[in-house]
Amino acid sequence: MQDNLTPQLMPAFSRPSDTAQDQSTTGKATSTAPQPVNPTVLIPPIKSKGLNASNVRRMRRIIAEDAEWSLAIVPLLSELCIQHIVKNFQNNPVLKQLLPEHQQKVLDHLSPDLPLTVTANLIEDENYWRRCCAQRWVCHVARHGGSWKRMFFERHLENLLKQFIPGTTDPTVILDLLPLCKNYVRRIQVDQFLHPSVSAPPRDGDQSDSGSEGEMEEYSTDHYQLRDLVAGLKHLEELDLVYGVKDCGMNFEWNLFLFTYHDCHSLAATIKACHTLKVFRLTRSRVDDDKARILIRSLLDHPALEELDLSHNLIGDRGVRAAAKLLSHSRLRVLNLANNQVRAPGAQSLAHALAHNTNLVTLNLRLNCIEDEGGQALAHALQTNKCLTTLHLGGNELSEPTATLLSQVLSVNTVLTSINLSCNHIGLDGGKQLLEGMSDNKTLLEFDLRLSDVAQESEYLIGQALQANREAARQRALNPSHFMSPTTNGPENPAG
Amino acid sequence: MNPPGPLEKEDEHLSTPILGPSVHSDNPQERIQARRLRIAARLEARRREALGECLDGKKESEEDQSKSYKQKEESRLKLAKLLLCGTELVTNIQVATDIREIQRRVEEEEIKRQRLEKLENEVKTSQDKFDEITAKWEEGKQKKIAQDLWDMLNTQQLHCAGLIEDKNKLISELQQELKTKDDQYVKDLKKQADDICLLLERMEEQVKNVMKTFRQELSHIEKAYEVERQELLSSNKKKWERALQAHNTKELEYLVNRIKKVEEYEKQLSKQRIWDCEEYNTIKIKLEQDVQILEQQLQQMKATYQLNQEKLEYNFQVLKKRDEESTVIKSQQKRKINRLHDILNNLRSRYTKQIKQFQEENQSLTLDYKRLVMQFKELQRAMRHFALIDEEKFREIWLMNEEEAKDLIGRAFDVDRIIHTHHLGLPWTAPDFWFLKNIGPISQQPRKSATEIVEEVLMQTEEEGSEETMSEPESYLDLPKQVSAKTTRKVLMLLCDESGFLIESKLLSLLLPLEKSECYLLRLDAIFSALGIESEDDLYKLVNFFVKYRAHHLPSGQSVEKLPVEAGKKKNLSEGKQEVQSSPRLIHPNDVLKALEAFVMGLNKPRDPRTPLKKRKEVRDDSKDSEYWKALTMVIPPAKQNLWDALYTALEKYHLILTERAKLLLENDSLEQQNTELQMLLQQYLDSKINSELQVPPTQVFRVPTKEGSASKG
Repeated sequence: MQDNLTPQLMPAFSRPSDTAQDQSTTGKATSTAPQPVNPTVLIPPIKSKGLNASNVRRMRRIIAEDAEWSLAIVPLLSELCIQHIVKNFQNNPVLKQLLPEHQQKVLDHLSPDLPLTVTANLIEDENYWRRCCAQRWVCHVARHGGSWKRMFFERHLENLLKQFIPGTTDPTVILDLLPLCKNYVRRIQVDQFLHPSVSAPPRDGDQSDSGSEGEMEEYSTDHYQLRDLVAGLKHLEELDLVYGVKDCGMNFEWNLFLFTYHDCHSLAATIKACHTLKVFRLTRSRVDDDKARILIRSLLDHPALEELDLSHNLIGDRGVRAAAKLLSHSRLRVLNLANNQVRAPGAQSLAHALAHNTNLVTLNLRLNCIEDEGGQALAHALQTNKCLTTLHLGGNELSEPTATLLSQVLSVNTVLTSINLSCNHIGLDGGKQLLEGMSDNKTLLEFDLRLSDVAQESEYLIGQALQANREAARQRALNPSHFMSPTTNGPENPAG
Repeated sequence: MNPPGPLEKEDEHLSTPILGPSVHSDNPQERIQARRLRIAARLEARRREALGECLDGKKESEEDQSKSYKQKEESRLKLAKLLLCGTELVTNIQVATDIREIQRRVEEEEIKRQRLEKLENEVKTSQDKFDEITAKWEEGKQKKIAQDLWDMLNTQQLHCAGLIEDKNKLISELQQELKTKDDQYVKDLKKQADDICLLLERMEEQVKNVMKTFRQELSHIEKAYEVERQELLSSNKKKWERALQAHNTKELEYLVNRIKKVEEYEKQLSKQRIWDCEEYNTIKIKLEQDVQILEQQLQQMKATYQLNQEKLEYNFQVLKKRDEESTVIKSQQKRKINRLHDILNNLRSRYTKQIKQFQEENQSLTLDYKRLVMQFKELQRAMRHFALIDEEKFREIWLMNEEEAKDLIGRAFDVDRIIHTHHLGLPWTAPDFWFLKNIGPISQQPRKSATEIVEEVLMQTEEEGSEETMSEPESYLDLPKQVSAKTTRKVLMLLCDESGFLIESKLLSLLLPLEKSECYLLRLDAIFSALGIESEDDLYKLVNFFVKYRAHHLPSGQSVEKLPVEAGKKKNLSEGKQEVQSSPRLIHPNDVLKALEAFVMGLNKPRDPRTPLKKRKEVRDDSKDSEYWKALTMVIPPAKQNLWDALYTALEKYHLILTERAKLLLENDSLEQQNTELQMLLQQYLDSKINSELQVPPTQVFRVPTKEGSASKG
């Protein structure tokens, strides 16, 4: 763009003025500045004319400020060519042959509605994909690794999967997309799988997720089989599935949430075959012990798996025992079994596996019923474990004996940073003992004791200790780093 | 970031510095000015940003920790607290739902349990009722009377109806419960929606709150910084002004001082000038005087210079001549040196030549020497060979001569014997001389080695044991006569027993199976070799030493007694038997070692066995030869020769007589023969036929033949 300016009057002034605009806006604006101006660039003469008409003197000044302004009434030939390329991009995609600056221009002006078969493997430019995304969804690119292109394909695939009805939708719709998106998709996050029996109307109209599933008379057969899709995606790292229907409201039927054995076996085979998988989540899908065991068996010795989330299911002690076995046969770092039906035996087997585990960092057993027996076993395990940092035992009917053991753990363990004991019956004495344990601990940063019958005084004192630990941790983090970084980062980060 | 955004911002931004020149002003000059300013400001900002934002910040923070730092810390704590509280507030909802869920679960469980109980009870009671009814059916079958049967059927019906009603009631109850559950579900849904709404609200509120507080804090911090900056600016300005003031006053002061000084210096200068003028004059006069003096001196110097020049020239000439002379001498010396060098070289070459020559000579001489040595050796060998041959020849000649002599002697003896026996009628005894036994050239008997002696001694003594009477052995003829064989033997036995340590252990083991005497022999051999005893003499010395040693150490009386005994012993060995008893007390076995030591010390004479051996070989003792031969000639003593002479003459005479007699006898014989012949002739004549024919035989005539027969007989 700057090249165009060279023949103009007063180029020296126009440039700084241009940057001055950018400077006056926030720091971020510099990178995004070209975009809002783009439409005007396409037809510079019109703009200048319009302004000319209004006020010549003002225009004169504004021209000086405008980087894009050109005296030429006829656009340059290169401009015309670019326009033409843009117009016929669908039929004749010419991009790589252009000069970089022209490429940029073409990309800036391409329509986001172009078919994916043309754009998918040709265009790498993030801005283009950003426009594509912005056109369709409310965007949180940070959730997709900061890559707009990846986000576009992931969301696109997700939508397709959500809308897929086995038996009615053509599977090729998804498989056709596979060669286009296989290089970019790293995560599949599907929070609903529609039922074969679900009648057509709710989903063909709605773009949104809120399909109001109406009448389901028939018994469900199986859901969409991910096997082919997953096998084709070579960078897939995360699989987040819910075998259920969202927002069914008063149309609730148990069938909607049926995760069949066939589904289970197919899914197990799929995840076993996918060696790049790092995160596997299967929540709210009524996975019971047997299905959990099938899935976990397929995950034994998986080369990459780091996170397993089976929360909000129906897993009992047998399934947990399998998970405990998995702990010693994989490199699992995060295990989430929140809101299942784990009881004391399951917790004991987990504790047994945890005692000498060196991988697991986070364990979540929220809303189970492991009771004191299981809690004590876990506390014993934590005395030897040197890896676990986060432990969630909220809502587990724990009481004073567990608190006693945990307070001992607190004084010994130097790894744990976060414990959650909310919604238990710790009691006043238990709170006091925990407070004693806290007084010896220097590493714990979070300790949730809400609604667990602990005296307010001890909770407050524990809070003080945590505060001190947090300060110490902050100092520790600061010391090696530059002195200035926290002071500048502190106020700016939240503001931005 | 829609287009109006930046414009607005720009306006905002530009509105603040109203005081300065504005880009919006109508004056183009002013606009240009404004833009320039703006560029400068931006450049400055960029530079500062690039250079040392960190530095500035650091400095500031270090300088005024008081305000900005405090503010920052404060806001940080506040914000952290806010965030914590906010998250807690938000998560409170989750916790609340969790606990509600737990409660619900507990209640549910309780209700479930109750329901199950109730159902079980119901089942039980209904089963009872059913059993009752079925029992009654059996009863009913037995009833014959219709009335009864009808009644019974009615009651049964009633019972069944009751049962069904109970069941229906239960079902309706359960359905009721289901309905309430449905309601509950709807309520829960609503509740959840509310919760979610609340959650959202709280989150939003939280976000807003946080944003607000962050902004606030930011503005606070900014303000604090601003205030600080203002303060800093004002203080710096004050400082600056103060410094400027001070500087001005000082400047003034310096100026005044300077003026004063200038005046002073001017005064001093004028003074100095006058003084200098005077001084200059005086110095000028003085110097002129000096110049005159110096000119005079110069003249003088010139004169001396002339003089000196001449002198020097003369010297120079002299030196030149000397130099020439010296060059001549030098050349001569050089030539001489060259000559000497030549001579030296010649000498050297000669020297080397001579060395070579001498070396060659030396070589040839050594070769000659070697050759001579070889020749000498060969000569020696030849000599040895000839010596041997000579000896052989000598021996042969000797033997021949001896044989001849002996023959002669034998004949002489025979003659003597014949003379003695036949002629003299005396018994003849053969003279016994030592030389008669001798065969071959007389030679000294070889010295016997010690061991041979020992062997001899041993053998002899053994023999002695068997033969009481023993003639003196020949070998002892040349023994030193103080020591008897027995004593020697004793001594040797003693030695053998006591000094076994001198024998090698290997040898001992080898000796075991041997005979006693042999064993002794070998032992002694070993001992002697160890002691260094080689020859016969040594051995006898040893034995003597032992004997003497004992004699020395015994009480004197005994020794005196012994010695003559031993001296006597050699003369008569038959007597020796008595002495044998005393000899075992020769020496105490314990003293043997001491004696031996002393002996060995004494024996330590320098030995040179080679030379005497050689001499012995070369020199033959021929002193006895003439004796021997003379002795051989003197076999027949002169007395006997005289006898023989006398006998010869006598026998001559006798022979004469005998020859005469023989002659006579011969005559006699011839006569007799004639006689016989005559007789025979006679006989013949007598016996002839003619006689018979003759009438008178002659025989009758005489009787002669008879007579003759008797004479021949007699």
